[in-house]
Amino acid sequence: MLRIEDLHAEIDGKPILKGLSLTVNAGEVHAIMGPNGAGKSTLGYVLGGRAAYEVTAGSVSLEGDDLLEMEAHERAAAGLFLGFQYPVEIPGISNLHFLREALNSQRRARGEAPLSGAEFLKVARAQAAALGMDAEMLKRPVNVGFSGGEKKRNEMVQMGILDPRIAVLDETDSGLDIDALRIVGDGINRIMRAPDKAVVLITHYQRLLDYVRPDFVHVLADGRIIRSGGPELALELEREGYGAIAA
Amino acid sequence: MTQLPTNRMEAWRWTDLAALEAARSTDRGSAPALDGLWIEGDGPRLVFRDGMYQPKLSTPGEVSVEAISPATAHPLGAVTAGDGWRLTLAAEQTVAVIQIVHVATGGENHLPGVIELSRNADASIVETFVGAGWTNRLTTIRLAEGARLTRSVRLLQASGFVSLREEAEIGAAASLASIFLGAGKAASRIDGELVVTGDGGLAEMGGALLTRGEQRQECAVTVRHSALDGASRQIWRAVAADRSAASLAARVDVARGAQKTDGEQSLRGLLLHRTATVNLKPELEIFADDVKCAHGATVGELDKQALFYLQSRGLPQGPAKAMLTRAFVADAIDRIEDEAVREVFAADAEAWLNEAL
Ligand SMILES: Nc1ncnc2c1ncn2[C@@H]1O[C@H](COP(=O)(O)OP(=O)(O)O)[C@@H](O)[C@H]1O
Ligand SMILES: [Mg+2]
Repeated sequence: MLRIEDLHAEIDGKPILKGLSLTVNAGEVHAIMGPNGAGKSTLGYVLGGRAAYEVTAGSVSLEGDDLLEMEAHERAAAGLFLGFQYPVEIPGISNLHFLREALNSQRRARGEAPLSGAEFLKVARAQAAALGMDAEMLKRPVNVGFSGGEKKRNEMVQMGILDPRIAVLDETDSGLDIDALRIVGDGINRIMRAPDKAVVLITHYQRLLDYVRPDFVHVLADGRIIRSGGPELALELEREGYGAIAA
Repeated sequence: MTQLPTNRMEAWRWTDLAALEAARSTDRGSAPALDGLWIEGDGPRLVFRDGMYQPKLSTPGEVSVEAISPATAHPLGAVTAGDGWRLTLAAEQTVAVIQIVHVATGGENHLPGVIELSRNADASIVETFVGAGWTNRLTTIRLAEGARLTRSVRLLQASGFVSLREEAEIGAAASLASIFLGAGKAASRIDGELVVTGDGGLAEMGGALLTRGEQRQECAVTVRHSALDGASRQIWRAVAADRSAASLAARVDVARGAQKTDGEQSLRGLLLHRTATVNLKPELEIFADDVKCAHGATVGELDKQALFYLQSRGLPQGPAKAMLTRAFVADAIDRIEDEAVREVFAADAEAWLNEAL
């Protein structure tokens, strides 16, 4: 589904990703773990198509199409969802308005009919309820005044509404208490655990992986994947730290 | 005719006087269609074509048309002396929303207006400017104790220059709330002097100026507090695209005796292109010691993080920029209380965004 080969990317002339390769097949959950500054968020932004990041070498394909050729919104329409480590606050734009426009833009790009206000509202309410988010929060400006945990929950509500094929979730677990972690974990499983979907889960901690069981675990350090394994690798990292693995 | 101002005068240094001169020397032409300019409602409607009242197109209700000799020292306002419109309401009288459409076809046209509301009277006026040429207006407003006036004014001329001068006296517990939208292609100057003369009076004058191409628009507004417990609000937003320039000059004067004045002044500019300009000139002159005056003045570009966030959810760049810009402008337009009027103004801003982005 997603094939990353020898990816090199830099920002402001500073190389961050230095030859990263990763293949994600439909139906799989991949966890990416690694120390601060390793380039995990950079990977997310490069996949999402953020303009400030320059890809200097390598390739990325999504379902065989060249992802790097697409603009950010085209990647979304092609089924990519990026869950932000730091979701952005946008004053003056309600969640509902934003998400309806976003979903309908995607649908139009795919040649599907846009949802009416009523149809959309039904979907949005159902997703908010499933993630334990008060429906009133849908009317509030995007992420403004939300707690860290509420922002992450809102990311998952957005994911539920947009229903992507592949989700790259950047530290969606940070800032969550134990209960919220379970709700978010259940949400990821419900929305994304399907034979034709896939998840790349960027995380620092083993604890989210108790809820969303990964098929593969990778260690990202200094812009490359330096080790890959099964779920047991996450436990080993938790026990021994990145230092021992990277050495 | 009195001497026109020049750019050498401090108060007129940002004004596009060249556009004014060019506009006044154009020939009269045909008028654009007026359908679609009316907002739903059964209140009085008046049409002025090149500053001349059009009785066949109007249902003036409480508004009369008569000779008006304004007492103003304002260089453009003074030019308007002659026939104009007047709304005089008796104590406690209220009227449905009054709409005035000013259609200009070229050359220059001048028109004075007077609004006098007696005790606790209540009125709401929507004015729309379309067409071409130099359109010049003076509106003199006197609000007696407890009177309430809301004004919503939109500038939609396709070319030329629109100059508006507002002079208001706001009595005790009276309120004036006026919101302006510049969403046409003409240059403009929105010029106002509001004086709060009675205790507990409220003065609001704000709006959004949207400029593009080579267009230049500006506001130059002063609020003077000379009584106790007054409040004022100046919320202006400027959005400048291409090589255009928008200028926001707002001033609050609080006299020595005007204790407990609560003033809010917020001037913000958004540059859609690096080649555009927003000038801000916030001024506060406060001679009373027990006064609250919140103020802020900033110019910036669209937030790149927010833009990427919207795009990553599927919005193409144009619509994503439009969405953020709309939110920026909403600070000013959402001040319009009447929902129908607010929606029409928001739609004008939307149309501008769709063309500019
Ligand atoms: N805008 C930027 N300009 C310069 N360096 C950056 C920028 N953003 C991130 N970096 C650097 O890139 C490296 C990787 O950052 P990031 O991808 O956020 O790491 P991680 O998410 O793994 O903690 C870090 O050294 C960070 O300082
Ligand atoms: Mg990170």
